[in-house]
Parts: sequence; structure tokens; C-alpha cells
Amino acid sequence: MSVATADPARRSAAARGLRRWLAERRETGFALALFAALMAVNVLLNPARFAPGAWGATIGLAAPLIAASIAATPAILGGRGGIDVSVGPLMGLVNALIVQTLIADVGISSPWAVIPAALAIGAVAGALNGFLAVLVRIQPIVATLGTYLIFTGLTLTIVPAPTGTVPHWIQSLSGPLSIVPLLAVAAAWLLLKQLPYYDQLMAVGSDDRAAYTAGVPVALIRFLSYCLSGVFAGTAGLMLTALIGSADPNVGASFTLLAISAVALGGVSLGGGRGGLLAAVIGASDIFLLQSALTYFNVSTFVLQIAYGLILVASISLNGLTAMIDRRMAR
Amino acid sequence: MIGPLGATGRRVAAAIVLALILQLVGSILIDGFSSEFSIRSMLVLASLLGVASIGQTLVVLIGGIDLSTPFLIGFANVVAAQLYGDGMNFALVCLIVGAAALAIGAFNGALASTLSVHPLIVTLGVGTAVQGAVLLWTAGFPAGSAPEAVTRFVSIGGHAGPLPVPWLIPSFLILLALLTLVLERTPFGRRLYAVGSNPQAAPYALISLRAIWTATYALSGLFAAMAGVLLLGFTGSAYGDVGQPYLFQTIAAVVIGGTTLVGGRGGLVGTAAGALVLTEINTLLIGLGLSPAMVEAALGALILALVSIYGREPHVRASI
Repeated sequence: MSVATADPARRSAAARGLRRWLAERRETGFALALFAALMAVNVLLNPARFAPGAWGATIGLAAPLIAASIAATPAILGGRGGIDVSVGPLMGLVNALIVQTLIADVGISSPWAVIPAALAIGAVAGALNGFLAVLVRIQPIVATLGTYLIFTGLTLTIVPAPTGTVPHWIQSLSGPLSIVPLLAVAAAWLLLKQLPYYDQLMAVGSDDRAAYTAGVPVALIRFLSYCLSGVFAGTAGLMLTALIGSADPNVGASFTLLAISAVALGGVSLGGGRGGLLAAVIGASDIFLLQSALTYFNVSTFVLQIAYGLILVASISLNGLTAMIDRRMAR
Repeated sequence: MIGPLGATGRRVAAAIVLALILQLVGSILIDGFSSEFSIRSMLVLASLLGVASIGQTLVVLIGGIDLSTPFLIGFANVVAAQLYGDGMNFALVCLIVGAAALAIGAFNGALASTLSVHPLIVTLGVGTAVQGAVLLWTAGFPAGSAPEAVTRFVSIGGHAGPLPVPWLIPSFLILLALLTLVLERTPFGRRLYAVGSNPQAAPYALISLRAIWTATYALSGLFAAMAGVLLLGFTGSAYGDVGQPYLFQTIAAVVIGGTTLVGGRGGLVGTAAGALVLTEINTLLIGLGLSPAMVEAALGALILALVSIYGREPHVRASI
């Protein structure tokens, strides 16, 4: 402080602002550093996959996990234990309903019907989650665990075994056009950030009691966060359908835990009110790049699993460690 | 405290009443639901789930959650079978598996509390790594089996002295009574509740958050391992994914049993009742002739219906 002789007030304000910016973004910055390192490793190992010409296919490969992580984010941002563990099974349900019910049984395959249908299924499922977790007030992890089982069971009833094909336009969503759905989700999120809703969601997630006394409709805000999670999961289900090109009842559920790991890795606080879409995307990309690099070495999936678990623990531990050192310094 | 039992007591009572009602409904709907064999097998299945849910209850009481339970069940299941198959003394096998599970659990708890990172992610990451290590060790094809004594201990047709149930049932009940005593009457038990009720206030009562979290997660690991070894006796052969259904079922048993996920309220008696309720629902749905897929969906719907009756959270305005 003795250094700041010229204009101490302004300089310390600037320093404080900078420190706050760093403090708010540091968890994500961490995931970003990991992203850069992993990307470098991947490009060195496998230049063909990461050459500009292959970007479409590579993004298509990563898209379901990225979208699943985005879908897991809004419910978590709402705080007080808010979480949606039904994201993965919901993706599976959307996949089954689109490929089996809509395309194979009813015979509708126009994008103008399929895309709204996927979003609508997501919205209805999300509204069910929101109803259970926010209005009936069942603890969110239990509420969405209940719908997890319901969605899994329904999916298996609709398609007991992998089956079906998808029209060309859906396949192209995991190839040359793979960035389009992700851009659409990003645009929707940026639009959302312009609305008062976003600030209210962050306020509710940070301190719901203060938000409630300030007149924020806490229940409505949280209910809508589950609906948002559902709509994003609908998009994720569409991307999953594009990638696997068929209906498969067994792939959806595995996305839940990956998505929640990705969100935490990206620096979204599981306590609510901190983080956003970018954090989720970076966290998911980290996991994808990690899998991609390890697969290149042709290591067994067992080693992949160990590495994935350890890196998850190590990175959130480092996040926690820096936060702890920060608290010590502040004292 | 509301009413003669208090809010938690009423939830536990509700779970027990529910178990009885389900038994009645099952007897009406399905022939032989209350037959001796059916009751025996439900008690065995419920006790296995109950053992696996003990650890989950303890960590939920301190305000945590343990997603490593299914992985540790699989770990104990496979490692015990492999070591015993290699000719090691079974007592030594249990000692090794138990010590390893305690250590893994303690690591979970110590890490989550020291760095204040969310236990959901820590236990998920550690559990995933542990499962990977086990799979690597056995190359994905675990071998070996349980000694005859363990199989008899959990066998549905077994007898515990004059009782028409295997030793698992009375042993589980004794374990439950002892642990409830520990929770209610020992400093450790009271500290556990104190940490769960108010983690900020606990340090002022000279309770080390880190010590309690480490010890509780270590116990959670130990009970998961115990369930894994018992399941080895029950199924007869090792299987790394044997614990997977227990991930959500332990959480569901805890919540149906009246323990709230925010911590500090609830207990093991409720969890045991919750495990029984889940087993009855499962048996009922399968008995009604539903496909496995529909059983899963109906189980989800019923868990939601039950919890919405008596497991609701207070409104935010009640917390101001």
C-alpha cells in the first residue's frame, strides 16, 4: 500500500477490481489452462483429427457431452442443492422418441418438426423436474433421480435394443454442421444473459433468502432453471442422435455424471450462483480432450477411467486449494 | 419439535408404516407375496441394501454425500474374491479389503473437508479411479468366489440357530442397534449430528470438522466394502459392477427413511425401513409382471410419490 503514493484511492480500487475479476474467473481460468495444455497435446499427437478440415467431425464427437454439461448448468446455478441428474437419461429419451416414435413410427423427419419436438420433449421433462424439485419441494437430487429412473425406463420400453436410422440432415449435425446447434445454444444463452431473469437466477443461487426478501420470485426462477436444463438436454439429445445415427437406449444415462463432473471441473460452483455456460463448455472440452488424448495412446479403457478419475479429483482439489490460500491471504 | 415424535421421528414412523402397508398391498395383489420364502428373500435383499446404506446415512447426516459407494462395493467384491481365490486366509482378506476401504473413504472425507470441495465430485472421481484400478488389476475378468461360510451367512434358505432366517438378518439388526447407540449416546455420534446441523458453529464447540468428515467417510467406505463382501457370498461370483444399482438406491433408502440431505437430521432406523420399503416396491413391481424397464420407471414414480408425501423441504420463506 505504501507503493501507491500517486493516487492511492483509485489505484487500490483498480487493484481490488482486478483481484475480484480474477477471483471470480479463477476456477474457470484453471480449466482454461488445462484446456490449452490438452489441446496442445492432442494437436501434437493427432494432427489429422484436429486439422481444420476435421473440425466438423471432431466437434460433432464432443458436442453431446458439451451440450449435456450446458444442460446440467442452469439447475445448479439456482443453488440450494439444485442439480439435475436426469440430464443423461433425458437425452436418451429424446433420442428414442425422435428416432423410433417420430421418424420410424409416425414417419415425420422434417427438421421443422423434429427440432421443435426435441426441444418440446426437453421442456416438458424439465418442467416435470422443476415441478417436483421446486413446487413439491422434493430434494433436487432425489426428485431428478426419480425422473432419471422414469426416463430410463421409458426409453428402454420404447427401444429395448439399439435400432433405427436417421435422415441425412441429422447426420450432418455431427459432421460439417456440428457447430450449428452449439452456436444456437450459445446464442440462446447470450440472449438470456440480457434478460433480468439471468441476474435473478444468479441472485437466487447466491443467497435465496436475501433474494426472496428482495421480492425475487424464487420458486418461479428456480422452476424455469429446470425448464432451461430440460430444453438444453433436448438439444443435447438431438446432438447425441446425430452422432450415433440411431436409437440406442444405453448411451444416454452415462452422460449425467460426466456432465456434472465437467461442470464442476469448469468452475461452476455446485453451491449455486457462480459460473456459467462458458465454464461448462470448457470443463466438458477438457474431459473430451482428455479422453481423446488417452485413446490415442491406445491405453485400455481401464487406464482411461483411472486417469479421468484422478484428473477430476486433482483439478477440483487445486481449485479448492487456491480458494483456501486466497481465504488465508484475505484474513 | 412438532408432536410427540418430532419431525424426524414422524418421518421414520412414516417409513415403518409404509413398509407395513406395502406388505399388506403386496399380499392382496400378489399370491404368495407374504409366503415364508418371499418374506425371507425380501429381508435378505433389504439387509444387503441396508448395509450398503449405513455409510450413505452417516455421510448424509454430516451434510455430505458419497457417490463412491457403488465403486467401493465393486472393489471389495472383486478384490475379496480374487485374493481368496489365490488361496489367502479369508480373515486376512477381509482385513486387507476393510483397511483399504477405510483408507479410500478417509481420503474422500479428508479431501472434501480440507479443501472444501463438493463431496459429490470428490467421491465420484475417487470412485471412478478405484474402479478403473480394480478393472486393470483383474483385466476386466474377475475370478474367485466367497468362502462357504459367507454364502451360508447370507443364503435365503439359511437358518440362524432356531430362527428361520440366515445369520445376516439378526447380525444386521444388532449392527443397527449398536450404531444407533453410537449415534445417540457417544461423543462421536453427537458431534456427527452437530457438524451436520451447523458446520459453522461446530468449530466453536471444539469439534474438528476435518476429523469428523474423515472418520465418517472412512466408515462409509468400510460399510460399502462390507456390503461388497456380503454380495459376493450372495451372488457366488465376483462382478465389478455389482454395486451400480446401489448408487441411487442407497440415497433413496436414506431419503425414504426420513434423513434429510441437508444434514443433521435422521438416523439409521429410518434407513433400514427405507431399504425395506424399496425392496418391497421392487418385489411388488416384478411380481405384477412388469418388464424390467417398466419396473425401473414405476420405481422412480413411486419414490417420488412417497417422498412427496412426507419428505418435503420447507419453503424458502420458512428459512428466513
